[in-house]
Amino acid sequence: MKVFPDDLLYNREHAWVRVEGELATIGITDYAQEKLGEILAIELPEVDSYVERDEPFGTIESAKGVFELISPVSGEVVNVNEDILDDIGIINSDPHDTGWMITLEMSDSEELDDLLDSREYHDFVLKEAESD
Amino acid sequence: MIWRFISFKKLNAFENMAIDEAIFRENQRTDTPPTIRFYSWSPPSVSLGYFQATWKEVNVEACRRYSVDIVRRPTGGKAVLHENDLTYAVIASERNPLFPPDILGTYKVISSCVAGGLSELGIEAEMEGEGRSNPDDSLKAACFSSPSRYELLVKKKKICGSAQLRSKGIFLQHGSILVDFDPLKTCALLLPQHGDQTRQAEKLHGSVTSIHDQVGTSVSVENICHVIKNSFEKKLDIKLVEGCLTLEEESLKLQLMSDKYMNDKWNMEGKVQSDGSKNSD
Repeated sequence: MKVFPDDLLYNREHAWVRVEGELATIGITDYAQEKLGEILAIELPEVDSYVERDEPFGTIESAKGVFELISPVSGEVVNVNEDILDDIGIINSDPHDTGWMITLEMSDSEELDDLLDSREYHDFVLKEAESD
Repeated sequence: MIWRFISFKKLNAFENMAIDEAIFRENQRTDTPPTIRFYSWSPPSVSLGYFQATWKEVNVEACRRYSVDIVRRPTGGKAVLHENDLTYAVIASERNPLFPPDILGTYKVISSCVAGGLSELGIEAEMEGEGRSNPDDSLKAACFSSPSRYELLVKKKKICGSAQLRSKGIFLQHGSILVDFDPLKTCALLLPQHGDQTRQAEKLHGSVTSIHDQVGTSVSVENICHVIKNSFEKKLDIKLVEGCLTLEEESLKLQLMSDKYMNDKWNMEGKVQSDGSKNSD
């Protein structure tokens, strides 16, 4: 079973968030990238746009279909990972680190309280994988 | 288990896509039963996959000459010419016990229902297991030239292509079943102007088939809908109850038509101005 870093928080849509002060960096989990398979295309929001919690912040396509990326928190986009736009394979090879997608300046850090820690996410994934 | 069945209609490309997305979005918001819809396209249309580059993948000038509309789907995959096809849309929860949570499993279940219907017409379609090589690189933009896993083939020729969108636990699967097939027109509309289109059409003809090709005579769309609907009911042990759009879906459909699917920015560039699923410039 995969190990999910314990310095990250997770939503049930398989996105992770790394919090540094008011900044939240977001990506998808190793479990998600494995489930989707080779990612072929990605679309991310532009800097200065606003992302709502539980709403799509981007879209990806793999050979299996198109998938909306659901944001764990709300905030203004302050940074977008240009490296993954140039080399999309990074999302598959290093999803929890260099495969990050966007950084938000959070508008309500209390939203973090509703997210899962690594242990809770691990249990959630285990349950989902069992029904696969 | 009861599912909603929205019976066959021939509508324009923009309304067809707006209806499917409206059902999908409402399904994300409320706990509604799964829906199956059958439809065709009038006027004939080309639908593009979500990420496809319109000017690169479609011969826009030829589409205009033939009065063929161009629309971008919310689902993935390649470009499809909808002139002699029957399209289906299935919208359901990923957690519906009839569908395995793994993504390809859903394609497999739906393909087996479509195959069951085709079998009633005397067509033995098989599910593609691991994908088939593309007959020609220059044909790669066209959906029917490149089958993916669990798509339907008859004697190694593709007869039904499908694509999905997933978000917030709901999936929308589009499928296009070829009732008849015109490889020359498909090449003229879906491929760039350069290249020998007669040769490309011959290659496409060698890798694509249709219900008409297989049965040898014309089969009415009503009859095809009937056998596929029955097959869904039988294979999934469900009852398809005829229904229509809810007021909320109807209102969202109108909004999606005007803001997104009738908007050139979406169809040609893959962008919408506001509140759509793509971000503005």
